Amino acid sequence: MKSLVAASVGGLSLLAVAIIDRPDPIATPALTSPLATSASFDPLLSDPPLRPSAPIRRGLGHPVLAPAPTALAASALTDVVKKTCAGCHSDQRKQGNLSLQGFDMTNINGSPELAEKMIGKLRAGMMPPPGRPRPGGDTLNVLAGTLERMMDARYALNPNPGTRTFQRLNRAEYERSVKDLLGVDIKAESWLPLDTKSANFDNIADVQTPSATLLDSYLDAASEISRLAVGDPKASVSTSSYRIARLASQVDPVEGAPAGTRGGTSVLHTFPADGQYVFTITLHAIPTGQLFGSAAPFDEKIEISVNGERMSVLEVDRGMSQADPNGMEIRTKPISVRAGPQRITAAFVRTFEGPVNDNIAPIGHSIADTQIGSQAGITTQSHVQMFAVTGPFNPTGVSDTPSRRRIFSCRPLAPEEARPCAEKIMTRLGAQAYRRPLAPNDLKGLLAFYDAGAKDGGFELGVRTAVEALLASPHFIFRVEEMPAVAKPGSRVAVSGIDLASRLSFFVWGAPPDAQLVSLGRRGLLADTTVLIAQTKRMLADKRSNALSTRFAAQWLRLSDIEKVHPDALQYPDFREQLASDMVQETEMFFDHLVRENRSFLELYTANWTYVNEDLAKHYGIPGVVGTNFRRVEYPATSGRVGIFGHGSVLTLTSHANRTSPVLRGKWVMEVLMGTPPPPPPPDVPDLEKTGESKEGRLLTTRERMEEHRANPSCRSCHVFIDPIGLAMDNFDVNGQWRIRENGTPLDTRGDFYDGTKITNALELQKALLKRPTPLVRNFTQNLMAYALGRRVEYYDHPAVRKIEAQVKANNYRMQDFIVGVVKSDAFRLKKVMEQADSGTRGVSVPGVH
Amino acid sequence: MYFLSGKAMPRRQFLQNLSATIALPYLDAMIPTGRGSRILANKAPRLVAIEMVHGAAGCNELGSKLNLWSPAAAGKQFDLAPTAMSSLEQYRDYLTIISNTDVREAEPSSPNEIGGDHFRSSATFLTQAHARQTEGSDVRVGTSLDQLYAKRFGQDTPIPSMQLCIENVDQAGGCAYGYACVYTDSISWSSPTEPLPVIRDPRVAFEKLFGVGGTSSERAERRRTRRSILDFVSGEMSSLKVNLGPDDRQRLDKYLEDIREVERRIQRVEARNQSGDPRELPEAPAGVPDAFAEHVKLMFDIQALAFAADITRVFSFKMGRDGSSRTYPESGTDKPFHPASHHGGTERGVKDFNMINKYHVSMLPYFLDKLKSIQENDGNMLDKTMIIYGSPMGDSNLHNHRRCPLILLGKAEGQLAGNLHIKAPDGTPMANAMLSMMHTLGLNDQTKFGDATGALNLNSYA
Repeated sequence: MKSLVAASVGGLSLLAVAIIDRPDPIATPALTSPLATSASFDPLLSDPPLRPSAPIRRGLGHPVLAPAPTALAASALTDVVKKTCAGCHSDQRKQGNLSLQGFDMTNINGSPELAEKMIGKLRAGMMPPPGRPRPGGDTLNVLAGTLERMMDARYALNPNPGTRTFQRLNRAEYERSVKDLLGVDIKAESWLPLDTKSANFDNIADVQTPSATLLDSYLDAASEISRLAVGDPKASVSTSSYRIARLASQVDPVEGAPAGTRGGTSVLHTFPADGQYVFTITLHAIPTGQLFGSAAPFDEKIEISVNGERMSVLEVDRGMSQADPNGMEIRTKPISVRAGPQRITAAFVRTFEGPVNDNIAPIGHSIADTQIGSQAGITTQSHVQMFAVTGPFNPTGVSDTPSRRRIFSCRPLAPEEARPCAEKIMTRLGAQAYRRPLAPNDLKGLLAFYDAGAKDGGFELGVRTAVEALLASPHFIFRVEEMPAVAKPGSRVAVSGIDLASRLSFFVWGAPPDAQLVSLGRRGLLADTTVLIAQTKRMLADKRSNALSTRFAAQWLRLSDIEKVHPDALQYPDFREQLASDMVQETEMFFDHLVRENRSFLELYTANWTYVNEDLAKHYGIPGVVGTNFRRVEYPATSGRVGIFGHGSVLTLTSHANRTSPVLRGKWVMEVLMGTPPPPPPPDVPDLEKTGESKEGRLLTTRERMEEHRANPSCRSCHVFIDPIGLAMDNFDVNGQWRIRENGTPLDTRGDFYDGTKITNALELQKALLKRPTPLVRNFTQNLMAYALGRRVEYYDHPAVRKIEAQVKANNYRMQDFIVGVVKSDAFRLKKVMEQADSGTRGVSVPGVH
Repeated sequence: MYFLSGKAMPRRQFLQNLSATIALPYLDAMIPTGRGSRILANKAPRLVAIEMVHGAAGCNELGSKLNLWSPAAAGKQFDLAPTAMSSLEQYRDYLTIISNTDVREAEPSSPNEIGGDHFRSSATFLTQAHARQTEGSDVRVGTSLDQLYAKRFGQDTPIPSMQLCIENVDQAGGCAYGYACVYTDSISWSSPTEPLPVIRDPRVAFEKLFGVGGTSSERAERRRTRRSILDFVSGEMSSLKVNLGPDDRQRLDKYLEDIREVERRIQRVEARNQSGDPRELPEAPAGVPDAFAEHVKLMFDIQALAFAADITRVFSFKMGRDGSSRTYPESGTDKPFHPASHHGGTERGVKDFNMINKYHVSMLPYFLDKLKSIQENDGNMLDKTMIIYGSPMGDSNLHNHRRCPLILLGKAEGQLAGNLHIKAPDGTPMANAMLSMMHTLGLNDQTKFGDATGALNLNSYA
């Protein structure tokens, strides 16, 4: 694998080890003592020959950049590298698995991957590592700049837009496509296997490995979805269950539930036919089998409603137990429901308002702790565990549904009208599903299924069968891009107009293109840059572009990791599932605002505002926010929050259940935001958990435990980068609330950023990071490109990344400029024709060793 | 296509490009196709691993004196009448009792773990490994016996293995004492960190095995449609290939191979259905039935059918859940399961709990009847199957894990003699018996398993 990530991992491990070899740099008297190990390298000579008088700075941190030459001769730069870098990156020591001993600036064009690796490290200011001597002035900047110019020139001579195999619709894209096409809301996870991620994203083509199971899943989905969309008057009785998370609070109302209810669940369920359905509620029990919440002062009631209309009220008997014949289940009598999507809700009837906490505050009204469920003196609420729908009993047919209206755009009134009507329907649906106008053969194939179905069961069955075939067709499932027949191997060809329409739409909307886009693509008009940009702007203005936040940003920032963290219920009793999803929504809306309002990318770091609703505002201690709707608010001056560093999502997903983790937070910043992940810890490092929790009779703070842990020099070499970043955020606890103490001891969040800047809080961290926006901007661009292209960004893409960087910098890094920059790039609009079917660089295809 | 080339893809290599999660497809991609069947030669025994929780009344001092679980005599002349297994008398030729083995890995290893036995034992049963105490996602125990088997021999069938259960998972009562719910809910672990989800709804299990559709004619109809859609898809792919680059063409070829694989699976099911036996349930089950016995029988029906159609050869089946307070009125006592298991060592309490144990075992003959009635080539299905039934707990009153219940049923392709009570020497780990079971299943190169100290001869009582 030659991905960027691997390259930077190697790079950092090199610097990491470099530090071990030296005693504590601060303890070494500057300038006078020779270096302990690199005897061959006199720090005094680290200055480039051209600037003998430049000040030499030692110790942690970098020299203040002084005015310096803007160009250096190739031979001088070769000397700089040899003197500054080749001490550790020597043939013998090969730190970071890299030797620069034979480095020659005049030959670097032959090693572009190496050059890009060096550029990355130099621009991040991470090389040479803290404490290592470095040349004075802006010599290193000149080195980086020169390398960049050489690489850009090299690229200009032989541009490489890269290539990949075709993509298939992943779960998210499949859901959006089906919704667009048939108007049915489905959960793709019911059929399709989990998407494999690579380089943060779930749409990377080369890991979308074909398999029989996968193919089968698409066929299962096609079969079921076509029945749901058309309706199935012969549907047999089956059960669908919806599970309610243990951490879901039963005090908060859930979204979609009727007013005056609390807890439970509300879902859009697609009923296959008009008929009778039985709804079943399962309640949580405590370990000894009684109802969780049995100490309530009266029996609770659960309302079952369909589209907000009460259908049944179930009594929750406080005395119920697992030992009862029906266990913890309560079911309704059969209830008549019509086919199609209906919102069904099972929720408690809210019977009292006001404070519900008495002697002991209940644990966030979630069920994180089960033992308290029958204790007197604690107001516990019973918890719905599962909501199930069984049916249809006595189906009577299929009445009008939104998806039927969408499918049946015509109705045959006489037998001879049936086939022309089916043809009309399939021509329209087919073009939409295949994201292009249908060819005669396409239609022929689909109508064969209509004919077979119609023969068995008439017009409707015919159309349903044709829709099933449509959903199974490779033209729908795969996003295959045409290759001109005359394309010469190794040459670059333009992505065809139709294919470009899909690329653009799946990038900006995460969904198939609309008619306008397809039409422009078909007519070749998207080849015109002006049209392409205008379309991009049009699409950004459409609300569907929120996919850039819910799909791109959520994956880039790893928001789904929040599901893996279950904060300790006793320490963080307020944490509940609703809060976690509010936090994710906050970050998504924040990002969406940046894109929609075309704000500067840097606001991701500097914003003094965010999006909250009442629950989240309370959690953050922001006054004056009422109601469940999210709105933009400014952080109070004293909140300590700034930009994304104030988001509960980020702070929680980088924590352990019972303590914060400056290591995880530091790593998250380095990996996700800067694109320079620290190397994985070497094997057999002692676990932080093994470090004692207390000393001298008091509990240690996380920082103190980390320092004990870090006494080990092999840990220290990397953690000197990671920990100060994370510690600067340590005033936020496991679920993102402000704190000034930990385990009773005042927090000490002071640390030295790797460039020597003193940082103690998120604001200072943000300022230290923004001193060097280049790595942040480039890393963001790379992620955006990977997501847009469906492939990992490789070293040969870096000139294109720098080009976009230069474009966006001109106007203060506006978000939409990034997106337009990616769309305008060669990599997005062109592709390289493969030399042959050689796939040696693609890990999944490397022949197995057997 | 890897699985057609006969080359297995090394897992590490496969992982190189992946950052996070791996989904279903890797199972297919990593299997050397055709190879399995050559090794298998239709001789790989069917495996059902059944876990019952809460140990048995016969595992405390009084209970063992009364022979409520293991019979008094070792060897062939054992008397089942006083035991909870008396309902198996008619199948004693298929019965191998392994008594006196310990599940020490389910015991607490640090003070924090004391008391949490109910919440970690199930994870230990088929792994014989110690569960890491965590409520987070960093769960770790061991790879379970059934999965070691399925990885090697389950790949020739359309579904390598399936996990079933009776009790609702993720109820309150799990996730206590600092243990993640998966330790309580999952007995099958495909790796030490990957618990497999369990299916409770017979309908869901049924559809996964036999396809979607309420009746057998509906399923047949769907299979027909599926086949014509496969033809259509393969035609579309072939025509697509014309305008593609070589890489894309290569990938499409892989998909075309997949189409043939899916067709092969359908043909297999149809061939089975045409053999004349009424192999399919006329009606697919609607959901989870109310009664325990009905639910268990339905799950047994499904397993027997899947074996008959050779859709999978490996099941794990969790018949209980730790801490459950379900009552079994047909057993003769209406005490809830968990409270009854804390019988206090009184004669009354022990005997009441024994009634529940006895009732649970009495579910098995139904399954044995079914398997015995299925003929395949040279013998009946019971001859070809190995059923493990046991519990990772011994005396539930004390939460101990010594002298735990463990029996085998079936002949595992003639490799188990049956009619045998093996009394292991004191202190023998249950892992020893399980190691031997794996050898019986053909995993001959397995030398380590859990805390095993060696193998235990399953055909000798010496």
